[in-house]
Formats: sequence, structure tokens, C-alpha cells
Amino acid sequence: MDKVTYPAAEVINFVNERIVPVRVPYDQKPLAEEFQVKWTPLFVILDGNGEEHHRSTGFLAPYELISMILLGMGKLYFDHEAFNRAIDCLDEVVDNYPESGAAPEAVYYRGVSGYKDSGKPEPLKDAFATLRDKYPENEWAKRAAPYKLL
Amino acid sequence: MAEQIAWEENLETAKSRALKEDKPVFLDFYNPG
Repeated sequence: MDKVTYPAAEVINFVNERIVPVRVPYDQKPLAEEFQVKWTPLFVILDGNGEEHHRSTGFLAPYELISMILLGMGKLYFDHEAFNRAIDCLDEVVDNYPESGAAPEAVYYRGVSGYKDSGKPEPLKDAFATLRDKYPENEWAKRAAPYKLL
Repeated sequence: MAEQIAWEENLETAKSRALKEDKPVFLDFYNPG
């Protein structure tokens, strides 16, 4: 991460502008036990109250790190029922990082957030169609399969 | 334009900033090697 990802200009700009970054050694107590750190690097997205909303283990290149953080931000706002903010973050993943590992899950949560915001099934149906067409082998396409019946 | 990430070194400080600035926290557990 220190050699490739964190020195990248797009990562520096994104992290400094959009989130509050904090870095601690993997064995620092009591945090390591609280978060059950088993392997590094481990990335966790938290809200300001310290509640966890997303985590990812293992090296991520700049494109993958930014998209993973955006997914985590989307899930945080989804959990807080701030659906429009969630949709904005998830749309960034879908539109700007479509080849990332985070994209299929972002499509799924984009659909669920749209449904929760509007009460209408169309966002769920759209999510299923996108996952079927763009990521047919991904596990999130399978999880969205029931939405084809709506 | 910043030349490096402005890491906080303390989670409590990061959480306070997050609440004040209405931002999420990105926590990196790393191996200092």
C-alpha cells in the first residue's frame, strides 16, 4: 500500500477530501481485539460514532481502494437511512469504477437504496438487470435474482 | 494539493473529526514491518 496505492495522486486527493483517515498498527491494543484483526492490511469504514459499516482485507490498487471506500460510504449512509447520500456514493462506483471488485455489490445496494427511498420496485428490477447483464457470474447477481419476479 | 495522505494516528481523534466534518472514518490496520 505504501509503495503503490497511498502515494497515488488520485488516492491522496480522494482520501483527504472525502473521509477521515486513521492508521494504526495491526497489534495495537485494544483496537486490534475490538476489531478482531486477523490479517493485514485490513480496512474498515466507520461512522463518527465508531460503528463499523464495511471492511476489506488485502492489498488494493488505487482504482480498487477508492471504489471500496465509496462502497463502504454508500453502505454507511444506507445503514443510516440517508438513501440519497447512499445513492450518490454508489452511483460513483457504478459510473466511475465499473470494473472494480466493489461494483457488483454497489449495483445491488444502489437498487435497494432506490427502493427504500422511493417505495417502488423499479430500482430493484434495474439492479437485477444490470447485474445479470454486466456481472452474471458474480454472487450479487445471484442475490438479486428474486427481483426479476417483481 | 497535498503530497500525502493526512493520516490521524488516534481513532478517537478521527471519530471526533468525522462527526465535526460529517465524514466517514477510514481505518487502516497495517503491519509496520
